[in-house]
Amino acid sequence: MAALPRRIIKETQRLLQEPVPGISAVPDESNARYFHVIVTGPEDSPFEGGLFKLELFLPEDYPMSAPKVRFITKIYHPNIDRLGRICLDILKDKWSPALQIRTVLLSIQALLSAPNPDDPLANDVAELWKVNEAEAIRNAKEWTRRYAMDN
Amino acid sequence: MFVFSTCFKLTYDVEFLKCIAKIGEQKKSYVGIKKTSKLNQTQQTHRPTSKVGKQHHSLHHTCSSHLNADVNSPRFVVSFLCSFQLKKLFPTRVHSSLCNRLEIKRNLKSSFQFTPFGASEIDSKVRVRLRNITITMEQFEQLLTCAICLDRYRNPKLLPCQHSFCMEPCLEGLVDYVRRQVKCPECRAEHRIPYQGVQGFPTNVTLQRFLELHIEITGELPDPTSGQIMERCNVCSEKAYCSFCFHCDKKVCPECKGAHMDILRREICRINNQIRRSIHRLQDSLTLVERNTQSIQTNCSSVTEEVDEIYRRLSKALKDRTDYLRSEVDRYLGTELRTLTSLKENLEQEISNILSNCDLADKHINETVDWDDCELMDAKEIFLKTVEFIRNFEYENSDYGRKVRLILAHDPNQLVLHVAAFGDLNISNQHQFGGGGGLLQPPGGPGLMRSKSDHRLASQFRQQEERGYDKGYGENTPEELPLSGRKFGDRTSRSTTTNTDRYDRYGRTGGTDYGDDYEDSSRPARSRYRSRFSRHAPADNDSDTEPTTRGVRFSDQQKERERSLDTEEVTRGPLSGIQRLADSPRVMKKLQENETIKKKEKENPPPVPQPKVTPTPKKPPLANRQVSEEDEISKIKKQNKGATTSATTPETAPAVTITKRTEEPEDRIGNTRRTPASEAASSDEESDTSASSLQQNQRKVTKTVTIRRPSGPEPVTAHKKPTRSTSSDSTTSTESSASSAIRNSTVSQTPEETKPKFVARVTESTPERARTALSNTNKSSSDQKTFQSRFLPNRTPTVVTAPPAAKEPETSSEEETESEEESEEEETPKPVTNPDMSRTDIGALLARSAQARDSSDSSKTPTNSYTRTRSTPKEEESTPSYTSRFMNKSKTSSNVADDVEDEKYTAPKTRYSALKDRRQRLARSKSSHAFGDDDDADEPISPTTANPTAYMQSRGYGSTTTTGNDLSRSRSSHALKSRENSPDRTTTNEKDGAALSSWARYLKNKYGNRSSTKDKETGTGSVSPSASSSSAARRLSLGLPLRSSDVGSSDDDQKNMLGSPTTPTAVTVAAAGIAAAAAGISPKDQYLQKSNLLFKIGGRGSEPGLFTWPRGVAVGPDNSIVVADSSNHRVQVFDVNGNFLKEFGQYGNGEGEFDCLAGVAINRIGQFIIADRYNHRIQVFDPAGRFLRAFGSQGTADGRFNYPWGITTDSLGFIYVCDKENHRVQVFQSDGTFVGKFGSIGNKPGQLEHPHYIAVSNTNRVIVSDSNNHRIQIFDVNGKVLSTFGSEGSNEGQFKFPRGVAVDDQGFICVADSGNNRIQIFHPDGTFLKSFGTWGSGDGEFKGLEGVAVTPNGNIMLCDRENHRIQVF
Repeated sequence: MAALPRRIIKETQRLLQEPVPGISAVPDESNARYFHVIVTGPEDSPFEGGLFKLELFLPEDYPMSAPKVRFITKIYHPNIDRLGRICLDILKDKWSPALQIRTVLLSIQALLSAPNPDDPLANDVAELWKVNEAEAIRNAKEWTRRYAMDN
Repeated sequence: MFVFSTCFKLTYDVEFLKCIAKIGEQKKSYVGIKKTSKLNQTQQTHRPTSKVGKQHHSLHHTCSSHLNADVNSPRFVVSFLCSFQLKKLFPTRVHSSLCNRLEIKRNLKSSFQFTPFGASEIDSKVRVRLRNITITMEQFEQLLTCAICLDRYRNPKLLPCQHSFCMEPCLEGLVDYVRRQVKCPECRAEHRIPYQGVQGFPTNVTLQRFLELHIEITGELPDPTSGQIMERCNVCSEKAYCSFCFHCDKKVCPECKGAHMDILRREICRINNQIRRSIHRLQDSLTLVERNTQSIQTNCSSVTEEVDEIYRRLSKALKDRTDYLRSEVDRYLGTELRTLTSLKENLEQEISNILSNCDLADKHINETVDWDDCELMDAKEIFLKTVEFIRNFEYENSDYGRKVRLILAHDPNQLVLHVAAFGDLNISNQHQFGGGGGLLQPPGGPGLMRSKSDHRLASQFRQQEERGYDKGYGENTPEELPLSGRKFGDRTSRSTTTNTDRYDRYGRTGGTDYGDDYEDSSRPARSRYRSRFSRHAPADNDSDTEPTTRGVRFSDQQKERERSLDTEEVTRGPLSGIQRLADSPRVMKKLQENETIKKKEKENPPPVPQPKVTPTPKKPPLANRQVSEEDEISKIKKQNKGATTSATTPETAPAVTITKRTEEPEDRIGNTRRTPASEAASSDEESDTSASSLQQNQRKVTKTVTIRRPSGPEPVTAHKKPTRSTSSDSTTSTESSASSAIRNSTVSQTPEETKPKFVARVTESTPERARTALSNTNKSSSDQKTFQSRFLPNRTPTVVTAPPAAKEPETSSEEETESEEESEEEETPKPVTNPDMSRTDIGALLARSAQARDSSDSSKTPTNSYTRTRSTPKEEESTPSYTSRFMNKSKTSSNVADDVEDEKYTAPKTRYSALKDRRQRLARSKSSHAFGDDDDADEPISPTTANPTAYMQSRGYGSTTTTGNDLSRSRSSHALKSRENSPDRTTTNEKDGAALSSWARYLKNKYGNRSSTKDKETGTGSVSPSASSSSAARRLSLGLPLRSSDVGSSDDDQKNMLGSPTTPTAVTVAAAGIAAAAAGISPKDQYLQKSNLLFKIGGRGSEPGLFTWPRGVAVGPDNSIVVADSSNHRVQVFDVNGNFLKEFGQYGNGEGEFDCLAGVAINRIGQFIIADRYNHRIQVFDPAGRFLRAFGSQGTADGRFNYPWGITTDSLGFIYVCDKENHRVQVFQSDGTFVGKFGSIGNKPGQLEHPHYIAVSNTNRVIVSDSNNHRIQIFDVNGKVLSTFGSEGSNEGQFKFPRGVAVDDQGFICVADSGNNRIQIFHPDGTFLKSFGTWGSGDGEFKGLEGVAVTPNGNIMLCDRENHRIQVF
């Protein structure tokens, strides 16, 4: 196996030394390219108070290709489907090597506070979000409470 | 140092950076100073000015130690620096503690904020500035960081959007090669890439300056990889800064190198364990030897006893006999004497009596005395009696004359011989040494020679070695010894000096042994071997110019050198020549270093420079060398002093350093020298540089030596002395030429003499010089001859032809005299050592130039000629190693060439020509013969397997087909070829396919052939198989492809035809073929017999080997069965017997993904062409199933598809696609370029409705299943309708939604009549021949037929869709 690129090492170091508030990303013991991520739900969002687990994997050609990120904790969000896949442009075609793990995670955190039902991944959620936002937010809060707070 | 105060107001940042730089520089010293806790003056001078509180003592101390006394650094600068520097350098414990002391806190932005410590001392304004500066610093740092690699910029390239990124690997990685553009990661702006690639973007010079500045001021070590170029690692093929790995002889990245080193370590451990485990063998041998010693002793003593015993017995017998004989003789003598004595007495008495009688008678028998007659009578009687007695008396002489004689039983001579060799010793061969192992087996030798005790083994070993060297350069002799004469760890030494040394990098690409050998040539301890082995290496006494003697001479000196190689100051195993590692100076050094490092961890850093430090001054590149020479010398001096003063360690330490020093330059020389040698570049510049470098090296050597000498340790001189004396001993013989005479004298004279003489010689008159020059030219020309003759065959004249700088000799001579003068000045006891040493060095170095020099200068000085004479042999000596390398290489390459050649050669021949060829090859050179043999070994297989066809054909059918012989020959050759290229035939086929012109010929031939075939077919049935096979042969002979429809496994097929049944199908086919041949039936009959299932594949499922709605089927060139497993969205490949081989593809619309693929075809080079139906495209995969390309998308335009279905390819590689919903057939080139289309919706001829499947015959008839028109249409390649047959119905020749079509190489058409669930076979002209099959799920029953394919041997395979299986008939 090829050695870990310096960039990943640097990013990891910085993540550990200067963690972003509300985000923790710890590399897996056996695979330095795999990160266990915990993102706190942003304030003033239905996800407030929740601790959302994610997994983040840096592919072989990182940073030339985007990291693979997925929610492990169930979340009620129009841009996140039930498998935890995230509809976020910087994880897809808008990826840029100048982005980093921390920026990605910040973007995800931002996505939590600003759901975008117009570009949905979970259609039912998006539908509800558009039709009855209050209901949807209630659902989101409920899910947050149920799945993201116990542990 | 610089002054802060002057410019800090203007350019803080920079000055700060500079401060920090200085601090960084002294990072190490900081620790030391802190520990020594000596307050230096600077601090004291500073204290009043800086006014930092006492509690900041230590920090202050640090700062002041970093800033010289003359710097009027503002106090805040000092304190800031403290904090900043601490943050930078001591991020952990030290940092925090000191930070606390400084009361520095870090805020969230991780910049520094000073809480007012000594607020009275630092005014607030300054503090604000300070904070700003801190932030600025961070930003500055950030600005120098590439956003992609998050590292310091490395060759920053400026994009048009003004963002900069490292060129490599960052920007390179961003490149979109397809669109030739790069997207800025920062702003996503897209920029076209310049013509010459990303390096065409302008370098961000400003940024680079900043970087330089940063480096300058931070004193950060420049990136060690800065000068290097990223290369692909030869192992993991990652781009990295590669360096040479001795383990695999490749340039590899550090990771791989580390891994390799680990491997090596593990291997060593493993081998060591093996050794440990097997050391008992040696120990056994030892005990055995001991036992043998004992037994031989006992044996010998017993033999001795035996001999003694025999001696005793023999001597006793001899003595007894002798005694006996002697006594007998004595006894005999006694008796004889006695009788003789008595006889004597009696006689004497008689005589006296008679005489008295006579006297009496004379006197008294006369007239005077009156005698009476009686008395007279008595007297007369007495006298008469006396007379009578006297007359009668006769002495029996013989009686007493007999002699005693010793009669011997044996011939005395014989007897003596017998006794002398009364016994012999017979030493039996085996049981004396029995079981001693192969190594200890004595060689056969006559008589007692055999029993020579074992020390002879050692000498034998040596002799063998030497003989190896005598044999010369061709052999890989250097490999006989583990290190091949190198010193231990030499190559690693080079790798340690890698980073800074450019020459090194180049040098390492060349032969490694080369440099090593060089180094060795100056090793001093030659003498030991000389003396020891003078027997084998007679002195180099000949200076004649005859090439013959020259040859001898070289070999001699080689030996000599070999000896000198062996004698590193290391114990060697006398038998194996294995060194004792613990004695190797390098190992000692390593271990010592290790210890010292350990010690260092405990104590203060030792003031003594360790050995490791010594090489470092030599690292800077050549350019700096001249400048820094003085420094170096002084450094060395210092070090030496230090070493000697602190030489509490055993003598090994200085000894090591000395050898180190002498070696080191050599090492370097080796490297520089290797460059030209390996590159074969004859650039004068290079040799110039190398020359100068060697001058310097050499000077250094001499100097260090001279310096060293007075200071005590004398190993060098100690080595030198014996060298000289012994070599003089050995060389004092007849040397006639001037040069060697000179040499001789120099060597043999005492130092005191030599000096003046030598100097005198430099200034001596020309005659001698001329003479020497002359002799030299002679010599070297002859040298040259021998070189070349040796080298030329090896194709490595490079070494020889590397010309030197013409200047070299002069400079070197100067050098020598210089060093000489130096040594004179020094007035050391042994001044010669210096010139001598330098000379040897030069000799080694100049060796390269020897050849060119001889042509160039008559102005040569004797010294030069001297060096030359010495150097030439040295070069010779050094050659074997690299020549052998070269040779190996060239050999292998030529081997390969040979191989290839041979292959090509032999392949296209039949057995006969192969035989002939073999004979030819036998006549070739040995080497190629060896490889030819290899081929020969292979050949017998191929002729027997593949050639018999040709053979039999040429025999059996030669009469009927006029060209049969030739054709079959070439055909079989082709078969052979392809066989050799198997498993995948791509190369051959591609090659064949490349020549398109041959295609025209092919077509022509084919058609011509076809007609003739037909003729014959109609003529005599019995000929037809041969005719067809010969047509196939012709096709093959023209390098023809095997099309998907009539895919011919050229060889298999042929083989089967002639019946070497190996596989089940082969059996049937062979049977069929034989039957056909025997009965004289055409393939038509073969088809008529169809309807029995051969085998079937699959069943419903998604596992390998199972299908879900298989649609397309095709036959690969290797007779593999390829199935488009439509609803599993994959392609499955089976071998000829239906065994699963592989699968590829999955659901999706990406590359290599399918969505309900339908048709599948395999072109002549084995590529898979897939109609990816619901993705409306065609995909092409390589024979291994890797995606190559895709073309097409949904639409009705040219090159677009609407549910493409069947697909096929013709012999030219054109791809025909049934564009089902567009009701047309499209034709593409193999690369996907649209060629043409035909058909439109309708039911008229030439119109199509839902064409499903398509096939192309080898006569280029395009057969399309016009499904919804329930007919088959046949087009020509241009889309013109040739014929149409079939109509809706279920009678013979009628169809219901016909789908799959296939055509065999005879043109018979096979149609999957899906609505009627049957297969129909038609003649090439479209007349019905046969049908079989019915609805159902049993064998031979179908539900929803799809694709059909015909194998070259006539098997029909079809996709039974609803039964999810393939059936083969």
